[in-house]
Amino acid sequence: MHNSFSPLERFVRGLFLAFMLVWSVGPIFFIVLSSFKRQVDIFVYPPKLIFVPTIDNYLKLATQWNGFFHAMGNSLIVAIGATVLAGIVSFLGGYAYSRYRSRLTSWTAVYMIAVRVLPPIVVTLPLFPVVDRLGLSDTHILLILLYATFWVSLNTMIMKNFFDQIPYELDEAAYVDGATEWQLVTRILIRLTLQGMAAGSIFVFVYAWNEYLFAMIFTTNNAKTAPLILSELMGAIDGTVWGVLFAGVTLQLVPVVLLVTLARRYLIAGLTAGSVKG
Amino acid sequence: MAEVRLSNIRKLYGKIEIIPSLDLDIDDGEFVVLVGPSGCGKSTLLRMIAGLEPINSGDLMIAGARVNDLSPKERNIAMVFQNYALYPHMTVRENMAFSLRLAKADKATIDGHIGRASEILGLAPLLERLPRQLSGGQRQRVAMGRAIVRDPSVFLFDEPLSNLDAKLRVQMRTEIRSLHDRLKVTTIYVTHDQIEAMTMADKIVVLREGCVEQAGRPMDLYSRPANLFVATFLGSPEMNLLPATRDAAEFDLGEDGKLSGGADFGETGPRDITVGVRPHDIMLKPADQAKLKATVAVVERTGAETVVTCTLPSGRHVCAAMPGQVAVNAGEQVGLGFNPLQLHYFDTGSGKALAA
Ligand SMILES: Nc1ncnc2c1ncn2[C@@H]1O[C@H](COP(=O)(O)OP(=O)(O)O)[C@@H](O)[C@H]1O
Ligand SMILES: [Mg+2]
Repeated sequence: MHNSFSPLERFVRGLFLAFMLVWSVGPIFFIVLSSFKRQVDIFVYPPKLIFVPTIDNYLKLATQWNGFFHAMGNSLIVAIGATVLAGIVSFLGGYAYSRYRSRLTSWTAVYMIAVRVLPPIVVTLPLFPVVDRLGLSDTHILLILLYATFWVSLNTMIMKNFFDQIPYELDEAAYVDGATEWQLVTRILIRLTLQGMAAGSIFVFVYAWNEYLFAMIFTTNNAKTAPLILSELMGAIDGTVWGVLFAGVTLQLVPVVLLVTLARRYLIAGLTAGSVKG
Repeated sequence: MAEVRLSNIRKLYGKIEIIPSLDLDIDDGEFVVLVGPSGCGKSTLLRMIAGLEPINSGDLMIAGARVNDLSPKERNIAMVFQNYALYPHMTVRENMAFSLRLAKADKATIDGHIGRASEILGLAPLLERLPRQLSGGQRQRVAMGRAIVRDPSVFLFDEPLSNLDAKLRVQMRTEIRSLHDRLKVTTIYVTHDQIEAMTMADKIVVLREGCVEQAGRPMDLYSRPANLFVATFLGSPEMNLLPATRDAAEFDLGEDGKLSGGADFGETGPRDITVGVRPHDIMLKPADQAKLKATVAVVERTGAETVVTCTLPSGRHVCAAMPGQVAVNAGEQVGLGFNPLQLHYFDTGSGKALAA
């Protein structure tokens, strides 16, 4: 990095940053702000930046749309479940792909990537009768399985990259020190691949938390997730209650924003596929 | 402590034979150096002894027991790796304690062992640091510390010094050797550096393409190399080789001249002979006082030594190394003088040494 930008360059950079900021944060800002406005104030032009905040929308959400909170609970169960499941599977998968090379593993790796490239709906819809037969429709388990599966292929490859960066001599040193393979994995490798695990987990969590299509297809009531309720809010019979909708969206945003902010470092590390130093 | 015996050891990677059949005896407390060019199978051999690589056939005995099928942990060996392989997330203390913890040693035992090891290696002030906060030499010491806390019966080293700079390498060489003299644990040390081998070993084993070319005490190998490979591999600068045709006790070097007086292989001995002479056994003389005449091509002076590369009439190069600072310049005509008794003779066909 060098600091010797000319004033023009600095201006252009500033402009670009400002554009990116408005582009990415603008809508969120609008939604969060609007959730604290009275219905009549939301769409006035020019938009009011200064107003008396109200929590009416949140109260209404709680009283008239309390299914939303149940759905949020479902979302949380499903997102955490999928994250944990995908985390365990891709960790072990990444380990296997990195440490046990054979023709079989390289073929399955290609297959996993190939499957990931197909439109998910093509792979998933044929499952519908199977799911029905197994009595899994409208259950948390089903969504957990679906979401985890959807990410396992990519996350396994991310984890493989992390494992590949750990020199094999480290494994050997542990074996010579008397470790079993299980001890090697749990005492050493897990600590050195945490960044990859964190990045992968965020992908899965955010995806599962936001997912709409599969949830709509496979749930009706019991396992219904929050995005479905938000869409119902939009199509309410007495017209869209924008204030309440924005309140719901704001709550829906909170965990995602928190997670991404807290784990920003890992996220970037994961996207650039690891930087474990020996 | 233990002796290590390898008999008929064979190793294949897929269909490729890396080690055809290898025998080696290592005595209790001996410091053995396996040396050979890169890719000759040194690491493979060491990793088989460690239990990190399966052995295709043959017997590996440690302290009298066959250990082919035992895991590394059951062989009671310790290994120091080329890149140290320290656990990056553990402090120096935790790195050293790891094996003892796995063995469920109690805290007092662990502290005792770490205390002793860090005292021997001067690691006490570094115990709470992470590997990335250490210099190369310090990491090297921690890797050795991790090996000695366990009181293993055999130490294995795989090119432990090759990541260090030249100066530190010389220093660690002495340290490792004196550590051995203190602990007297059987040690197998792998390197491609013949100087390391010569200076550290009780016994050198020269390997080439998975075969033992020669094994013995460093000075025995230096003064009586069994073949051309060992002759040129050990010693720096390399031994000069002059292909000759023998007639009784006279060696005809073609246009370069004739040598005689060193050896007589009689009527039955081979006719095509390679004469070897170490650079340190050559003296430069005035051109008219020697049988072999040459032109000085390059003069290298290190202060303690002068290394002169000369060109014989045939275009062949000969290297001479003399102590001190010798007054000689490129382009000069010189004579090459040497004691015939210090010449080495090899059968050109088989490469085997001939007893003079
Ligand atoms: N895992 C492996 N698979 C196939 N060939 C290998 C493997 N490891 C080493 N080799 C081959 O075995 C030979 C000896 O390797 P190595 O023991 O590492 O040599 P050195 O340590 O003497 O440099 C080399 O030709 C190398 O390419
Ligand atoms: Mg090697």
